[in-house]
Amino acid sequence: MSRNNASRGTRPLEAVLLLFFLFAVVLPLVGMFSRLADPEVREVFGTEAFATACTNSLAVAAVTTVISVLAALLMSWVLCRTAIRGKGVFAVLLTVPMLVPSLAHGMSLVYLLGSNGILTNLLHGSWSIYGFPGIVMGSFLYSFPPAFLMLYDVMRYEDATPYQAADVLGIPKSSQFARITLPFLRRPLISAVFATFALVITDYGVPLMVGGKVTTLPVLMYQNAVGLLDFDTGAAIGFVLLIPAVIDFLVDVLARDRANARYVSRGFDLKPSTARDALGYVAAVLVTVALLLPIATFCTVAFVTKYPLDLTPTLANVGRAFTMGTGSYWANSLFIAIVVSILGTILAYLVAYITARAGGVSARLLHLASVTTLAVPGIVLGLSFALAFKGSPIYGTFFILILVNLVHFIASPYLMAYNSLSKVNRNLEAVGQTMGVGRARIVLDVLVPATADTIAEMFSFFFVNCMVTISAVSFLSTTLDMPLALLVTDLDAQRLVECSAFVSVLILVTNVVEKVAVAALRRHRHASTPVLQ
Amino acid sequence: MTQQHADSQTEAKLSAHGITKSFDGREVLHGVSFDVRGGEFLSILGPSGCGKSTILRILIGLEQPDAGHVVLDGKDITDAAPSKRHMGIVFQDYALFENMTALENVEYALRFDPARRERRAQIALDALASLGMGDYANKPVTGLSGGQMQRVSIARTLALSPEVILLDEPTSGLDADARLALRSQLKDIQSDHGTTMIFITHDQEEAFALADRVMVMGDGSIHQMDEPLRIVENPADDYVRDFVVANLKTKYDSLARFASPLK
Repeated sequence: MSRNNASRGTRPLEAVLLLFFLFAVVLPLVGMFSRLADPEVREVFGTEAFATACTNSLAVAAVTTVISVLAALLMSWVLCRTAIRGKGVFAVLLTVPMLVPSLAHGMSLVYLLGSNGILTNLLHGSWSIYGFPGIVMGSFLYSFPPAFLMLYDVMRYEDATPYQAADVLGIPKSSQFARITLPFLRRPLISAVFATFALVITDYGVPLMVGGKVTTLPVLMYQNAVGLLDFDTGAAIGFVLLIPAVIDFLVDVLARDRANARYVSRGFDLKPSTARDALGYVAAVLVTVALLLPIATFCTVAFVTKYPLDLTPTLANVGRAFTMGTGSYWANSLFIAIVVSILGTILAYLVAYITARAGGVSARLLHLASVTTLAVPGIVLGLSFALAFKGSPIYGTFFILILVNLVHFIASPYLMAYNSLSKVNRNLEAVGQTMGVGRARIVLDVLVPATADTIAEMFSFFFVNCMVTISAVSFLSTTLDMPLALLVTDLDAQRLVECSAFVSVLILVTNVVEKVAVAALRRHRHASTPVLQ
Repeated sequence: MTQQHADSQTEAKLSAHGITKSFDGREVLHGVSFDVRGGEFLSILGPSGCGKSTILRILIGLEQPDAGHVVLDGKDITDAAPSKRHMGIVFQDYALFENMTALENVEYALRFDPARRERRAQIALDALASLGMGDYANKPVTGLSGGQMQRVSIARTLALSPEVILLDEPTSGLDADARLALRSQLKDIQSDHGTTMIFITHDQEEAFALADRVMVMGDGSIHQMDEPLRIVENPADDYVRDFVVANLKTKYDSLARFASPLK
């Protein structure tokens, strides 16, 4: 897109935004990885602990990716290609695990399947989930919802015309699946595989809780940087963690360009089929139960007298949790989440406005800077911030937590706004200019109302992720500004498992309330604005 | 041929002098010059990519020329802001504000004009009524047909009383009936308000049916600018003969087969 008079006037804003990305993304990462120039720092790559952590991480990520993506593919097929009832409910339930921190998934598995777990005792089991099986199970809970959303969104909008043509030609269903469905899903599947792999290999919440003696790379990084204050080793491991995330980023960018070219001309006309739909129900119920049972477990543990000895229901844990500071941590999290959601939505929207509607070299740079943040795992970003801002006035304040969350989560809301603004008529600003109406007024009066649903989604994305994140903030928070999610491990370490479970419940409830409130606002807006119907 | 000025006796309302424009190193306009007379209906005819929309955007100030000048009523307006040029533009894709009703679309810009802010509703309703859209004033524009949306877009431009209206292929997305109706309304506006109109199209028949003069463009240059009949009688070069005259003749021949039964 070439620049024209219509894109004049955004240059000061472009300069400010570019400076923001320079100081908040580029410089901290460059500063952190410049430590690798020192041969002593690179010595960690030759240690046995590193080699073991690498092997563990690769094995866990590979196995979890296969399970998560296959389950996501199965559930997408069930919800898009069978005639079962309650598809909307299943679609919502399958994404509920996204509303809790990965720590909580690990913790809930211990409550459910640990040596004194509810299910273990019920079935008189003698297994141990600590180590490889526990990490894989917890990582599945954590990585299934994003993989499902990626494939479900693609299958939902698949064009039925090729299948109808195949039916007319008498091509069997199995061949249709092999020749139409799989080629159609090839790129989204590749994207889902890489995204899931990157998500699992960079997570430290689940392995921290159920890893036992199995150490993964993020845990090794966390132990070195937070436990031993060995930031150099942390930086070296962080560099390695960047590799799968960068590969995922490149694959995602390549697949996304093609995906944009798809369009639907005809939806699927699904006729009931007893065998297929029965299979669909069984699969949907099994996967949903597998995902929700751990959540139900920590919801239960939060309200029992003494897990696992006395399962009598009680509300005493609520009071105990609040006595332990849950209220102030909750306030911290709410403050951070609300400020990041507001500032992040404005920032992502402004960047998307420039890249989608103004064009030019700096717009292309801004686009690159925004989407590149997708490739930086939170744990790496957090450490880079700790190294870059240690000793500065912002270190140890809410400001740095807000800043790191802004940078960590900006890519997805930015892409939401970019896609939405790209679809709005490109001549609106030109019309405004000829009528003497400024660019800012057109944005506020026309573009914002036209993209209000996207803005709500952006806000919600920032909010939920700020509530559940632990990776970026774990290096930067103090006892005064610690977010609620980090309290899960603190309380668990003090053997206050019921209070720890209650904290997870509180995070879940907060996110559910936020989601419901945003959905209600959107419904109200659509109902009261006939133009939007 | 790139210079097409008005007769010395006729005062030019709007002039382009030696307009040159490049995008990404490729020159799309090669020193284009022409005059438009006051109250004239000028059609700019050319195939896709010949530079006709770029000319329109330069005339109204949405693009800056690399070289050359734009003159309105004898005053150089090359560097003037689009809103200070007393021109309005209508786009092929309507560019309506989809979160507003037809009336809100038309009165939107008037909100920011202190002289007309108080009377904006009446001005907007009059503009809509002049295009037969009075009954649709309170309808969301997203519920209107293509022809209706384009009429709202023209009413929005008209409400600001521009001296020159630029129309960038406004009938392209419309069905045959809507195209004919809109063409007739555009001619009515021209005659009722004396507004100068510059109409861009790639459709030979439409350009010739509407225009007082036609400017034939190809590859960033003006090949001929004259009254429709004189172009047909004396095409300036092979390009005009092939792109315009031969094309019109083909359309005429195909229609002529039905002439007798229709009579």
